[in-house]
Amino acid sequence: MNPVPLASGGLLAGAIVATAASLWMLLPNGREFQSTRRLGLLLGAAAMLAFVAAGRRLGGLGEEAVFLLVSLVAVVSAAATIVSRSPVYAAIWFALSLTGVAGVLLVLGAQFLGVATIVVYAGAILVMFLFVLMLAQPAGLAPYDRVSNEPFLAALAGAVLLGVLSLSIGRLSAGVPACCAPPARAAAAGAATDAPTAAGTTPAAAADLAAGPPAAVAADPLSDNQVARLGAELFGRHLVAVEAAGVLLLVALIGAIAIVSRGEAALAAEADAVRAADRRTSR
Amino acid sequence: MNAASLPLLQNALTVGAILFSLGLVGILTRRNLIVMFLAAEMMLQGISVSLVAWSRYHGDFGGHVLVIFVLTVAACEAAVALVFVLQAFSRTGRLDAAAWQSLREATVGRTIDRELPAVDTVPPRFPTLTPAGVQPATDADDALEREHV
Repeated sequence: MNPVPLASGGLLAGAIVATAASLWMLLPNGREFQSTRRLGLLLGAAAMLAFVAAGRRLGGLGEEAVFLLVSLVAVVSAAATIVSRSPVYAAIWFALSLTGVAGVLLVLGAQFLGVATIVVYAGAILVMFLFVLMLAQPAGLAPYDRVSNEPFLAALAGAVLLGVLSLSIGRLSAGVPACCAPPARAAAAGAATDAPTAAGTTPAAAADLAAGPPAAVAADPLSDNQVARLGAELFGRHLVAVEAAGVLLLVALIGAIAIVSRGEAALAAEADAVRAADRRTSR
Repeated sequence: MNAASLPLLQNALTVGAILFSLGLVGILTRRNLIVMFLAAEMMLQGISVSLVAWSRYHGDFGGHVLVIFVLTVAACEAAVALVFVLQAFSRTGRLDAAAWQSLREATVGRTIDRELPAVDTVPPRFPTLTPAGVQPATDADDALEREHV
């Protein structure tokens, strides 16, 4: 429960304030390429440096050079996503941010999720976004892309949220609270989850789980066979949730098609009504 | 569950918090519907990073499983939301959130677009390729029919 040292706390607070100020200067406000944006860029770079310095003080961010690199890519391109005037550039910056996030996930030992983030987000969802942009984007910069709603208040809200979150993150300590001490928690969780899975799954799966429950083996998520153990966890303990997710995907698919077809019918009806009104007035 | 991985947990949680806050700022302040959705996806990314960090710290797969479900829900959300965006665009011809401001609360003031200075119309300079090979002969009639080629 050692509090955050004063110097690094001040550094972190300065970094948060500088982030908010640079966001406010960078967000679209009707001006194009003026000195405010350059100042905002400078402030943003200073904020990133201060974050790195504070992280080094808080917990040895310098040890993980790779983590530093990928998290900087993720954060900087995330900021560029929300301050880009052109939505196409925003989408491409978001793809770069996803690459950084995938790198962070890989550093954290989530190999499957890192690859899945690239495949599902950058490969599928982002391409869908770009399709819609190509369908719907007018030529040139639209006026609503050049202004933002209340950029100062929004940057302030972001800074307050970030301050509160990083304050509570800095207060984390290695000590485990009495409510969830590790042995008791693990034993309780094992007792609570083994019974339903043993009852709900096939005998073979139950035997597998009994032989090597994934939660118990996974003391080191970086060890071998991670994907296999993740699959065993997913289709063992969380089988019902997987079924529910499948139903959700189906419902979303059908719902999207239904909305499109009904919307097109309504648009055609509107167009018919307008044409009928035109005919009536022209007579 | 060991003290040595606490700094990594804190740093990863900070990255997640920054991503979430940036997404919050984006969704609050941008007016393009698609950029607003990108910002929402960015908030989901921040959550995913935090969940995986906790999963690493505690050494179990709970966070990983939750992130898989976050991916699933994000895919569903993107499908349905982009359909809504396309419908909104075909109604108003704009991707502007303020095009739907007649749905606002009665106490909220109207969003009035101020006059913007003209965008400087200097065309962007793209890199050019050096010509290679012989330029093929073009048919004038064909060019009339296929004007975009």
